[in-house]
Amino acid sequence: MTTAALFGPYHADRVLAWENGHAITYSHFLSDVGALADLLPEKPTVINLVDDRYRFLVGFAAALVRGQTTLLPPSRAPGALGQLARDYAASYCLVDDTEQVEHFPSYQIPQSRWYPTCTAKIPQIPVDHPAVVAFTSGSTGSPLSHSKTWGSLVTVARSTGSRLGLKASDPVTIVATVPHHHMYGLEASIMLPIQHGMAFHAGRPLFPEDVRSALAEVPSPRILVTTPLHIRACVTAGSRLPHVKYILSATAPLARSLARQAETSFQTSVYEVYGFTEAGSLATRRTVAEDTWHVLDGITLHQDSAGCSLQAPYLREPISFPDLVSIQAPHHFVLHGRGTDLVNIGGHRGSLSDLNQKLNEIEGVQDGVFFLPDDKGPSVTRLIAFVVAPGKAAEHILSALRTVIDPMFLPRPLHLLPKLPRNGTGKLTRESLLGLLHELHQGERHGT
Amino acid sequence: MVSEGPPHTWDDKSVFDLSALEADVAKLIVQTLNLNIDPVQIQPEQPLFNEGLGLDSIDALELSLVISQCYGYKIRSDDPETVATFASLRSLCQSIEKHRTK
Repeated sequence: MTTAALFGPYHADRVLAWENGHAITYSHFLSDVGALADLLPEKPTVINLVDDRYRFLVGFAAALVRGQTTLLPPSRAPGALGQLARDYAASYCLVDDTEQVEHFPSYQIPQSRWYPTCTAKIPQIPVDHPAVVAFTSGSTGSPLSHSKTWGSLVTVARSTGSRLGLKASDPVTIVATVPHHHMYGLEASIMLPIQHGMAFHAGRPLFPEDVRSALAEVPSPRILVTTPLHIRACVTAGSRLPHVKYILSATAPLARSLARQAETSFQTSVYEVYGFTEAGSLATRRTVAEDTWHVLDGITLHQDSAGCSLQAPYLREPISFPDLVSIQAPHHFVLHGRGTDLVNIGGHRGSLSDLNQKLNEIEGVQDGVFFLPDDKGPSVTRLIAFVVAPGKAAEHILSALRTVIDPMFLPRPLHLLPKLPRNGTGKLTRESLLGLLHELHQGERHGT
Repeated sequence: MVSEGPPHTWDDKSVFDLSALEADVAKLIVQTLNLNIDPVQIQPEQPLFNEGLGLDSIDALELSLVISQCYGYKIRSDDPETVATFASLRSLCQSIEKHRTK
């Protein structure tokens, strides 16, 4: 059986993680993984909710060693975990502290310990082992699962590293503001460093001051793995960041003007990674210099009457792009925007029809629709909802929504109305909803 | 000091006993984050995140930027005070009062 090593070139004393200012070496990691693997329950699937990036990795790696699959729920909303409880009943959770998770037995990862007897044998994981299952919201109300083999994670990490010029002989340390519980974070902040024998910061800085101090805690050269939102925050705050070799951005399109500001302010280069849950990371570009995206080695692009798709040796079948793209050259494409049903709020992708269905299933809601206004200004644009629910308060509907949708998609605000402007065929056009929004703003301006 | 945003129809009388700063910051929160609530209805001791007002980390980042712009207070999460800072409107305002430079 073909296998691939848990991590890249092994140097026992090389640092893998910086946790609260302490360096954790690769040999230390091996002993932690071995110890935890012996303790894990005999179950097929694990929901790893650990926030500390290093301890998450220990849990993830121990699960791999035991032949288990890590589930990556789209959020921690009770509805998302409830769905997992139905579809993956024989799962357990790994958690940071003694928190109890509804539906599942929870286990804490024991404190890191150094076992001098560690044999330092690098685990070899079968490439066809389903290492993780990620989820996207389908358009019909049920989430769709996407299984990722260990081989696909390793291949994407290696091809991303080679595109970005990472060399095991020249290690860098990654500081990431993104959560590792989603595909981009898992790929860029965990798989990318470990497959190149490199290091990461175990924390997840949020505010500009946090980013600055996290970078200062690790040795140069450093890479910042982040999102347009955090880049804007650091630029707006006028942060003076320690030198980074480059910034890697994903989850939403980065404006070229913001990329240029970041390159100037932080004296670095800014690269973007494009990907989506179904396919993983698949292309990169230097935002200030290129409109086109260059796919990673091994990926091919196809265009037919149905749209664009991509194929790669680690994908079972061609996968359609969820966004509107056009192919410019065999290995280059241009991104034109989202598909009409797709929303992306703060890096969380969702389907409008799925959200609408969930809204209309709430007791007391007679009619309702989610709406994404045009982007205005630099901050994150949130969804709006128009709802007909006689006798119900907005707060009642919001509470009900909170249990069934990713909190990122909660409407800001939710407008209660006597009826929705459906046309003769019962459809709601974007124009009519924009008009409605305009009327509401006018009404507020006149204090009615 | 509150920037122009969507106008609202609430009356300015809080049902809770808010200080002037608390009333200003409550308006700032509602306007910045487009919340479904009148600022006067924010309970000063109510949690801002999760089960309270339901704010998330993107909101925290947005709020930290406007607070930095309006009051010159740069929030950071490795400061042991920060968890307490974001606990409620009242604790947020106490931290702003303590660290503000404008």
